[in-house]
Amino acid sequence: MDALMAAESGENIQYIVIKLGGEQYGINIKYIDNIVRIPAITRVPKVDEYIKGVINIRGTIVPVMSLRLVMDMDDDEITDKSRIVIIKTESDDLIGVIVDEVYQVLTLNTNNIEKVAHDPNSAKASFITGVGKYEGGLVSILDLASIELDNIDGKANARKEDKKEGKKDNK
Amino acid sequence: MDVSEYLGVFLDEAKEHLQALNDSIMTLEQEPDNEDCINEIFRAAHSMKGMAGTMGYKRMQDLTHDIEDVFSDVRNGTLKITPNIVDTLFQCLDAVQAYVDNITETQDEGTEDNANLIKALADIRAGGGGAAAAPAAEEKEAAAEDTAEEGAEEAAPAAPVSNADAPWYRIKLEPSAKAALEEAKNEGKHVYGVQVFVEETCILKAARAFLVFKGLEDIGEVVVSDPSTQDIEDERFDLTFCLIFITDQAPEKVVEIVKSVSEIEKAEIGEYDLGGAAQDAEAQEGAEEAAPAAQTPEAEAPKAASAPPAAAPAAKPAAAPAAKGGDKKPVGKPVVSRTVRVDIDKLDVMMNLVSELIIAKNSLISAATSSGAVDKAVTSQIEYLESVTTNLHESVMKVRMVPLENTLQKFPRMIRDLNKSLGKKMELTMTGEDTEMDRTVVDEIGDPLMHLLRNSADHGLEPTEVRLERGKPEVGQIFLHAFQDGNNVVIEVGDDGNGIDAEAVKQRAIERGVVTPEQAEAMSEKAIINLLFNPGFSTAKVVSEISGRGDGLDVVKSKVESLSGEEDVRTKLGEGSTWIIRLPLTLAIIQALMVEVGEEKYAIPLDSIQTIEDVKPSEIKFVENREVINLRDTVIPLVFMNKTLECESTRAPEDDMVVVIVRKGEQLAGLVIDTLIGQLEIVIKPLGKYMKRCKFISGATILGDGGIALILDANALV
Repeated sequence: MDALMAAESGENIQYIVIKLGGEQYGINIKYIDNIVRIPAITRVPKVDEYIKGVINIRGTIVPVMSLRLVMDMDDDEITDKSRIVIIKTESDDLIGVIVDEVYQVLTLNTNNIEKVAHDPNSAKASFITGVGKYEGGLVSILDLASIELDNIDGKANARKEDKKEGKKDNK
Repeated sequence: MDVSEYLGVFLDEAKEHLQALNDSIMTLEQEPDNEDCINEIFRAAHSMKGMAGTMGYKRMQDLTHDIEDVFSDVRNGTLKITPNIVDTLFQCLDAVQAYVDNITETQDEGTEDNANLIKALADIRAGGGGAAAAPAAEEKEAAAEDTAEEGAEEAAPAAPVSNADAPWYRIKLEPSAKAALEEAKNEGKHVYGVQVFVEETCILKAARAFLVFKGLEDIGEVVVSDPSTQDIEDERFDLTFCLIFITDQAPEKVVEIVKSVSEIEKAEIGEYDLGGAAQDAEAQEGAEEAAPAAQTPEAEAPKAASAPPAAAPAAKPAAAPAAKGGDKKPVGKPVVSRTVRVDIDKLDVMMNLVSELIIAKNSLISAATSSGAVDKAVTSQIEYLESVTTNLHESVMKVRMVPLENTLQKFPRMIRDLNKSLGKKMELTMTGEDTEMDRTVVDEIGDPLMHLLRNSADHGLEPTEVRLERGKPEVGQIFLHAFQDGNNVVIEVGDDGNGIDAEAVKQRAIERGVVTPEQAEAMSEKAIINLLFNPGFSTAKVVSEISGRGDGLDVVKSKVESLSGEEDVRTKLGEGSTWIIRLPLTLAIIQALMVEVGEEKYAIPLDSIQTIEDVKPSEIKFVENREVINLRDTVIPLVFMNKTLECESTRAPEDDMVVVIVRKGEQLAGLVIDTLIGQLEIVIKPLGKYMKRCKFISGATILGDGGIALILDANALV
């Protein structure tokens, strides 16, 4: 019965809306562990470019990645509004992502979210599960599974391969 | 009865018993007449049977029961140990191990009945005694199966103990109890004195006693007991307790009920004579004589007399408790075990808290220094705090330490099996089994060691014919030495076999494309041998079941390195080889040298540092295009950390260089850094999987100011 109701009226989910290069992205609030100002980031040598380094969150060492670089945008410019959103992934790892601005908290009904078709040629699209509509405009819903290590690697490699035109990169 | 909370205890003990069985049967194989050994096996099998029964693991109980039967035959001399029997027994142990493994995983023993093994055991027993001896054996073993129980069951009811010195007369009767007894007598009911003996190996005496009481109360009334019910519930009794019991049932019935509780060794029963109670005082004086007295009725029992070997052991346990019961106070204080079993998770939590404390201490020091609030009092308190945290860390570390023994125990058995399956003669010597290491390391190191031992057995030792040809002793020697060396534990595994043929390794490496022929030419013998640790490398011409397809050594390498250890090999062609594993005592907290490279802080584990040198840039020489220095006649390659770490050096090119000489096994390297900061006790935190591609960073640590310093892995830099 409940399931039926949910199917008809949809489910309300809260999202933290962040801004990245002028666009709005939503992150499901249940995956968010913390939001912090940009602290001193310790650089780690010889890792992928999108890994900015590590930070100390309450005694735990958390890697920080740049969503901009992951999504093939320009590198981050740290301003007063920049934040690191600490995300707890499905596999219980903490990972921080740098965002331009944390904008607002938004409740969206699943009925108002449109699924998007995967476009393998667009770096951005592969990190998005859907687009939500609300009075303030459109918000892209981030696919958090896609920032887990295996998936990122797959995508980064896939892009590399596209550029190199073929040849499997056997990691 | 809900037994799940005892599961952990059960599993621990089952493993201990299994190990004891394995060890003893191995000994027995060598000395088939070793009586101590036979007794030990019998005891272990018997306890296992009892425990399995208590926990409701029927199949395991049946199998151990049959093993026990075989040994009761052996003990009675009707069966001789032959290699055949030993093999079957080992198979049985493996089957029991399988049950235990199943239980560990699912709490269920599984559905394997092992009927073939049970049959094999039955065959051994049938064949062992020969046709003539068979009936005798049967009878004897029936008596011996549970010698004590049998003796008691037959002896007690047949000749009820009527002796006034029987233990239950020593129970002090309250007037009310006495009245109750008298009343019962008048009503024509039986009043019995019952003495119950609990098995020596019983784990839950109180629970057993409780079950005895419960069973008895179904058919009558327990008037009084010695020790008191309360004491029995609190387990404040030795291996025996007495009670006075009113019922209208026959004594046999009572004994049957008592004995239906498992781990009850036997029960003695006698009609309680109210007149006898009056002799209370004398009975106590006569306590000394009670021992022989208790023995008499049993020895006289007809059945017992006809099977003296069975009755004798039965009488002995009876004598001891009787004598004890004669003490003024029944032994009140159970011998408290001096150890505590602790869940490893709790220790992990404790270790984490200690880590936090050390970070907090470091923060405090840096806060005090930077705020300028350093007066004498603060400094001395901080120093005190420092020594307390260091001691605390050491103690917690020690708690986590277990002897390597647990891991090494299984190896003698493994080598024995390899003896047969490889058709080579070999012998394993182990020393230093008591060397202690962190529990997690001990758990993890078993597989690599097993690989190395198998390697030695399979590839290292030559076939027997070759050994004889070369004038070596027929029996190949395999050894495992463990010892502590500073903050490390060293484990050496080796053999007196063929050693490693560097030329063969070289050919193989070229064949496999691991190196090019040109590269191979330039490599030292040592470097070539180290190629063995490359993934997918095996020198054995035949892929064997024992050591697989050459994935052994790289497994060893990766495992050892994941434990922050290092591995090395020494070999001499024709004389044998030795594999050396060096592991840190602890994984979580280490002493490190803090250094600066560029603007960044890094930690180098103190363990891997040999010396620190000041070197003039003019001393740099070039060998094979590498920058080296000649330090006290040793040529040491330099690693410029600013290049490796991809950052700008703060040192002017003409200034002296600070070079940290680090060691990996026997190799040295000089790390060129910018500034030395000092020594610090650091807590290692994992960097997580996103960083695992950075080979020479083994982790990170949190500094006093909340910042992070990366830990350099000297092993990866050398």
